[in-house]
Amino acid sequence: MRRIACGERPGWRSIARDAGFAFHTIDGEPYWDESHAYAFTLAEIEDDIEGPSGELHALCLDFAAQAVTDERILASLAIPEPVWDTVRASWRRRDPSLYGRLDFSYGGTGPAKLLEYNADTPTALYETAVFQWLWLEQGLKDGRLPAGSDQFNALHERLIARLAEIAPPGLFAFAADTSGPEDLGTAGYLQDCAVQAGCETILLDLAQIGLRADGAFCGPDERPFAALFKLYPWEWAFQDAFGSAVAAAPTRFLEPPWKMVLSNKGLLAHLWAREPGHPNLLPAFFEGDPACASLGGAYVRKPLLSREGANVEIFSEGARIAGADGPYGADGFIRQGLAALPCFDGRRPLLGAWIVGDAPAGLCIRESDGPITGDGALFVPHLIEPG
Amino acid sequence: MADERETARGFGHRPTGRSKPAVTPPDRAATKRSQTVSTVLVAGAGLAALSLGSLDRTVPGRDVLVYPDVTACAADAIRTADDCLSAYNVARAAYPSSAPHYESLPRCEQHHGSNHCETDGTVDLPDPMRFVPRMAGYLLGRTAADGVTPEPVYDHSSGENGHHGAYCTGSGGRITTGSGAHASSGTLKSGSAQATKFGGFGNSGRGFSSFGGS
Repeated sequence: MRRIACGERPGWRSIARDAGFAFHTIDGEPYWDESHAYAFTLAEIEDDIEGPSGELHALCLDFAAQAVTDERILASLAIPEPVWDTVRASWRRRDPSLYGRLDFSYGGTGPAKLLEYNADTPTALYETAVFQWLWLEQGLKDGRLPAGSDQFNALHERLIARLAEIAPPGLFAFAADTSGPEDLGTAGYLQDCAVQAGCETILLDLAQIGLRADGAFCGPDERPFAALFKLYPWEWAFQDAFGSAVAAAPTRFLEPPWKMVLSNKGLLAHLWAREPGHPNLLPAFFEGDPACASLGGAYVRKPLLSREGANVEIFSEGARIAGADGPYGADGFIRQGLAALPCFDGRRPLLGAWIVGDAPAGLCIRESDGPITGDGALFVPHLIEPG
Repeated sequence: MADERETARGFGHRPTGRSKPAVTPPDRAATKRSQTVSTVLVAGAGLAALSLGSLDRTVPGRDVLVYPDVTACAADAIRTADDCLSAYNVARAAYPSSAPHYESLPRCEQHHGSNHCETDGTVDLPDPMRFVPRMAGYLLGRTAADGVTPEPVYDHSSGENGHHGAYCTGSGGRITTGSGAHASSGTLKSGSAQATKFGGFGNSGRGFSSFGGS
């Protein structure tokens, strides 16, 4: 794994505009950065990222199967009791999932360490699947990148295939907070994939979702949704006025409610308890568990529910050395062994390994200048060096 | 919110269809990346300008089909004879429980027109709510995908006599057809009892993106 200076494509911004990539720059700050890229060997991708991702996802499914039969687990994840039946029912119905993203600390040496599983509402999808792919193809065509370079990125094809496989007959809706360009982009891109999968679709804001008298969710014209992709976390959806209507609705949700048990930092403590010493897991415990003492003074304190690194704190030798503000933490915390992000030229990459259905499908990298990857992190493309 | 983007755009429905790949690299046998990547919506409009569903919250009328009986439905050939029959059976089964009940024959006829009401034999005395409109026909969707639950419809009195193509549903929905009692096309305006609610999602948190870790 190397960080290489490949230089920007001349005119990449107009390429981005033509491709529809509207949020390469956010609030005047760069988000997409192709001045550099990360280069991997094929063995690093296959043995250290792809293989472990598939294995960890399978462990997560095993855990979900147990969680729905054990109220103590659901309670430990701070999932509200009125929601338990909905979570269990969606698992027992085998409601299909579409996608998720496992985030790793990995620098080319030693096993990748799982930091969290964004199993419910991951973003950075379009820029991974489409714009990163275009960057590689154009770099190969221009000779800017070494001939024979590849990329771990079958995301686009896998998403279309998965949507074709799981879409029920009828209208497929894609909803997000459309005031946020990244959220709108992710939902809009998935709508695009669904159209290519042969679905009839509608894209709408969360506030446009309706609830019919017959219990089905619908759009402004009251036509019922057969399926509803919501880029909106379940823990918030269940607090909303429509949350109590999810259980009885004929509408199928993506991600399904059972993904709540994975999109929770408490998962990390449960995985460690089930697979202590797993090379891709870090020791992790719920705060208050006496076993936290085994972490010594170097650990990361994470809220059960948080995003963009918010409310994450890093401790070293017992002292808080880094922390990010945010609104989360009311539901409890875990402590996880510290696996500091690797440092390349003073930059710290975080690897996001995509899962589509139940299979690894691609990779994205977010790069920050500090130890916590927040919402200001840059998206940096990657390639696989020719063998 | 996306209201500014809504002007002059219709609902965000997208037809099904497949696009031609934008780029098809040659000789791609054993790579770890997609063979082709193309977008059909994103590239045209841009991710920030995708067409969203209309924000108009007024309940639009739904186009439905209304027939007096299965024969008329099948003869119209918009839905298959099988669909016509199964929809009728659904509506007929719903009739006893969903028909509006009135405490007197005059009250019933005031709403539904003279000679359009009868006594519900399943209601025991002394319950006064024994008078119901006869089932004048039934409504169903133009296609199965419309998701319309078949319902019985009743003549709806307007003024003197006759309904001038007006029917109603058990929950107070109004149906107007263009050309009289046997027209197949109608527009259903939901009654208040069937109101769809909006705005029940999105209030617990807005504007996040899920990429983080340490």
